[in-house]
Amino acid sequence: MNYADLFRVTLPETALEVAALVVLIVDLGFLRKASLKVRVTVAALLGVAGCGAALWTLQASYGAGYSFDGALVLAQGGYVAVAQVGILVLTALTLLLFIDSIFTKHVGEFVAVVLMAASGGLFVAAARDLLVIFIGLELLSLGLYIMTAFAKSSGKSAEATLKYYLFGGMSAAFLLFGFSYLYGLSGSTNLYWIQYSIGESGTNPLLYVAWVLIVAGLGFKVAAVPFHLWAPDTYESAPAPAAAFIASVSKVASFALLLAIGGNLLMPGGPISGQKDVVEHYLRNEYLAWQPLGLILLIVAAASMIVGNLAALAQVSVRRLLAYSAIAHTGYILLGIAAQRAYPGVGSPFQFFLSTTGPAFRSANAVLYYVLTYGLTTIGAFGVVSVVERATGSDRLDSFLGLHKRNPLLAAVLGVLFLSLAGIPPLVGFWAKFNLFAAVLGVSAGPVSFALVALAVAMSAVSLYYYLQVLKRAYVMPAVDETPIKAHPVTMGVLVAIAAAVVVLGCFPALLQGWIESFYLIL
Amino acid sequence: MQETISFTPQLAASPIAEMLWLIPAVPMVAAGLAALLMQAKRKTSAVLAIGSMSVSLLLSLVAFAHVVAGWSHGQAVRETVNFTWFQAGTANIDLGWVLDPLSAVMLVMVSFVGLLIFIYSIGYMKDDENFTRFFCFMSLFAGAMLGVVIANSILLLFMCWELVGLTSYLLIGFWYQKPAAAAAAKKAFLTTRIGDVFFLLGMVWLFAQTGTLLFYNNGAGSIEAGALAGLLAQSAALGLTAAGAIGLLIFAGAAGKSGQFPLHVWLPDAMEGPTPVSALIHAATMVAAGVYLIARVYPLMQAGALAGGTTTALTVVTWVGAFTAVFAAMIAVAQNDIKRILAYSTVSQLGYMMAGLGMGGVAVGMFHLITHAFFKALLFLGAGSVIHGCHGEQDVRRMGGLKSDMPITFLTYAIGMLALCGFPLLFSGFWSKDGILEAAQHWSVVKTPFYMLVFGALLTAFYMTRQVTYIFGGHWRGGKPAHESPKVMIVPLAILAFFAMALGLIGTPAWPWFRAFLDGRAASFDLHGFMEPRLLALMGGSALVVFLGLGLGWWLYGDHSPKPSEPDALERMIPPVWAALSDKLYVDELYRVTVIAFYGWLARGADWLDRRVWGGAVAGVAWGFSLGAELNRFLDTNVVDGGFDKGCDELSVGGGLLARIQTGRVQTYLRILALAVVVLVAILFWSNRV
Repeated sequence: MNYADLFRVTLPETALEVAALVVLIVDLGFLRKASLKVRVTVAALLGVAGCGAALWTLQASYGAGYSFDGALVLAQGGYVAVAQVGILVLTALTLLLFIDSIFTKHVGEFVAVVLMAASGGLFVAAARDLLVIFIGLELLSLGLYIMTAFAKSSGKSAEATLKYYLFGGMSAAFLLFGFSYLYGLSGSTNLYWIQYSIGESGTNPLLYVAWVLIVAGLGFKVAAVPFHLWAPDTYESAPAPAAAFIASVSKVASFALLLAIGGNLLMPGGPISGQKDVVEHYLRNEYLAWQPLGLILLIVAAASMIVGNLAALAQVSVRRLLAYSAIAHTGYILLGIAAQRAYPGVGSPFQFFLSTTGPAFRSANAVLYYVLTYGLTTIGAFGVVSVVERATGSDRLDSFLGLHKRNPLLAAVLGVLFLSLAGIPPLVGFWAKFNLFAAVLGVSAGPVSFALVALAVAMSAVSLYYYLQVLKRAYVMPAVDETPIKAHPVTMGVLVAIAAAVVVLGCFPALLQGWIESFYLIL
Repeated sequence: MQETISFTPQLAASPIAEMLWLIPAVPMVAAGLAALLMQAKRKTSAVLAIGSMSVSLLLSLVAFAHVVAGWSHGQAVRETVNFTWFQAGTANIDLGWVLDPLSAVMLVMVSFVGLLIFIYSIGYMKDDENFTRFFCFMSLFAGAMLGVVIANSILLLFMCWELVGLTSYLLIGFWYQKPAAAAAAKKAFLTTRIGDVFFLLGMVWLFAQTGTLLFYNNGAGSIEAGALAGLLAQSAALGLTAAGAIGLLIFAGAAGKSGQFPLHVWLPDAMEGPTPVSALIHAATMVAAGVYLIARVYPLMQAGALAGGTTTALTVVTWVGAFTAVFAAMIAVAQNDIKRILAYSTVSQLGYMMAGLGMGGVAVGMFHLITHAFFKALLFLGAGSVIHGCHGEQDVRRMGGLKSDMPITFLTYAIGMLALCGFPLLFSGFWSKDGILEAAQHWSVVKTPFYMLVFGALLTAFYMTRQVTYIFGGHWRGGKPAHESPKVMIVPLAILAFFAMALGLIGTPAWPWFRAFLDGRAASFDLHGFMEPRLLALMGGSALVVFLGLGLGWWLYGDHSPKPSEPDALERMIPPVWAALSDKLYVDELYRVTVIAFYGWLARGADWLDRRVWGGAVAGVAWGFSLGAELNRFLDTNVVDGGFDKGCDELSVGGGLLARIQTGRVQTYLRILALAVVVLVAILFWSNRV
């Protein structure tokens, strides 16, 4: 046990926790008498500063990760770092959008909870040990429940929280149950050792049960069908910054974890070493043991794409629409995660898993690319919705009528973000889909993956319909009310910046791709 | 041919080449800003456009000076800046720009002529309510055209090429309230698109064969020796090599843009746009983009030619060019619209350029391109001045006697006309056209193009004389008396007139500076260049032809002032020929009964298929989807939400939070969760049951 090492590795989380405490002290101590506006602004900016500090320490703390007793507990670098940077940036954006909020008087507490949840997210992305994973997930989830409940005066918010909490508790129980099976089967809580010993011992019916339980627990976090039932209610009733946080930050963290469970052999520090043919032999065995996980993920992915997109068609509330669209996007991303471990077919498994140009890496990159850009776009979308909601008092489709007359800039941002979500070139959403589907087909060109990609593409076409439903109201249909909608300048600035990023990253897709790949070079 | 001493190539990009992207970017940004302006901000938009063009001109001059400086030190400057736009699989999609004599010359020409025309437009468009929009489009055009010029990647060139086509469409249809303008815009867009499809095919093929989109890339570019050798080894259909076939496809794109037969039909109609547009886009720059494209890919067109020989691609270019030159000149004889005459003349001159490229090489064609840009812009602006002075009248038969009403316009117009006719020695057109004729005379295949081009020169002199005497000679036959145009229009005319004369100096046989510059050789002043007997005979001969044309024109039209209702002098002599010519040799009619009729039939068929077959299928699928969605919503609202809400409603009457958790229908959610787990486990066992 090396505490100095542990401290170095957890510097970013520490920075966030310190920032959370500072926010509480400042808000409850110094700013007692200040107006709500000042308190919100100060708290949010302190939170953003905390994220900045965490980013800085993240950069400073690259190393081999933290190991205990010879087993890696917290990983660093590679896609973990990408996900952590994404979590911090998206948290900062959420906080900036919070500046304009009025749903609560307890701003210090809200910002503190957001920061703590973000630090939970950082743990989740980095953890390589079942116990740390579980604690990280709970830290993240508890934060999310509290955020959802923060609009205390709203009965809907309370109801949604309750549903979310009950569902979450149940899922956590499943997850823990699954973890306990894994431990029983392998005798270790470390992901690498679990993988290693399962690879040695081969398949076991109990393993199937364990996988399904784990997928149920994590499927809840990413809102995959059939574990999605909480999502529409929660998205609809939670305060906008909370919903944005759930839709972006929590997703990035959970998908990073899924990537790790799906194939953490990609990371250094694993137990396998030695001759190449030994490694290949091991990988072949290990593949067989993990194959059921891929199958479940494919089923869940297909179900999410279908249910999410079709249900979104019938929504009249834009928040519920975004919830179902989130479910659909989860489906696409899960395809990429399942593909990460699909059978290599011909060629060497060594090439497949361990080469930095191999298909497994490509699909991990594509997943990260998708999650990050999706998180960015969704935060923007929730920002626009919350502005409209405040002006019109509802998030119904009809409250977007004539938006381009009431606030042309806001309508333009909405247009860019929704078209990007629908995957229209040259916006970043197009490249995200393109990369992901290309990676899935690059892993295996068999009929199953081809059919799934075809389904995904067809479903993307369906999704265009409901996104355009909103844009049609904003641009084409006659306005009922033409009074201008005003937005806080910071909110507007953040939204425009997000839209600009969506356009620029779409026009130069190599920028983000290159940035993600640059993290692998550090290894 | 002169001996070729190739200069040493220079590869590293200088800071000037690094900054070359600014030249197209500045007008584009100006266009973007102008697009945000309100209609009333007329002055701002003009300042933006003219300011950005001035910056581009300045930068172009710097770039040009840089190339000239390198050249005078014995370096063939070709500096490229390339970068990867994105990766698709293993293929790199590269963009980049190039600074070499060819692009430098074009940059200066486009930005200089563009600037003059922008300034002129202030006067010409003074009363138009969409002044702001006009300058926005013009700036966008200038940016896109400059982008075409500097592109080192065939993809970048194609993108700018399409942007140029788009602005051309927007500006032809600028007065969209006029049905003729709207139709002309559509026609231009569709016709050039036919060429562009071939261009796209050529581009894709080139990319597939060479694996790169860049023209020059330190030996790895698609038109450098290595790639060309590969293209030559590959044979396509009909005895063509891949290089030849790709060259022909690209030429089809160039023919569309440059109005070469049989895709020339859009250019005369494009005259529906404002006159500065005709001058800038449809005379000086955009239509020359096709010629420029061929010059840019010349190594590809020329690949496989033996010394002094030619290739299939170049032969096709030559024949199409020569034919277009004569064909359009014939039609120009029998037109009465001042701008249409010039339009056909442009088509004809573009034919000369193509023929020059085909037979004489890059320098010959490009020299005519540059001189033509100046004198044709001059003629168009002069025509604009005439139209402006005559209150919108465009029929030359309703003009006359403007010599005294518009003296400066007359003087400059006459200079432009003489330059176009190729009046000996004093005018640039003489030298550039002589270069083409000389090349045609030496062409190794046959002499027919030479005679065609000489005949074209005769026609050119003839129809220009006819036009000028109609407009400026005789007495005024219109309504309201004409007036001279304002200074802001006259000054650009004078500047252009100066260059229409002076530019010839850089391309005389005694001092072939331009050719040496483009070919990367040293230029020397040597009066013996004139002394070659065959050259003297050619110059004398072509001078004679010009005089003959001028004389014929003067004889037929000189001292009469026919009324608009009277038949034309030529019409009285040879009525059937006149009728055919004035109906533009029935090309449009031919297209109407063949291509357009075919498409009409096809469209009706497709419409039927769409309505009856696909429509039904789509409706069926849509119905299926909406059924699914409804089902989902039903489940969602009635089973899930409905159950929960109903439960909540009922329970909230009686009770507290605890009651809700214990007996509320959140159980449904959790039941589904548990059920899903069981089902998934079952599926796994089933799929691994062996």
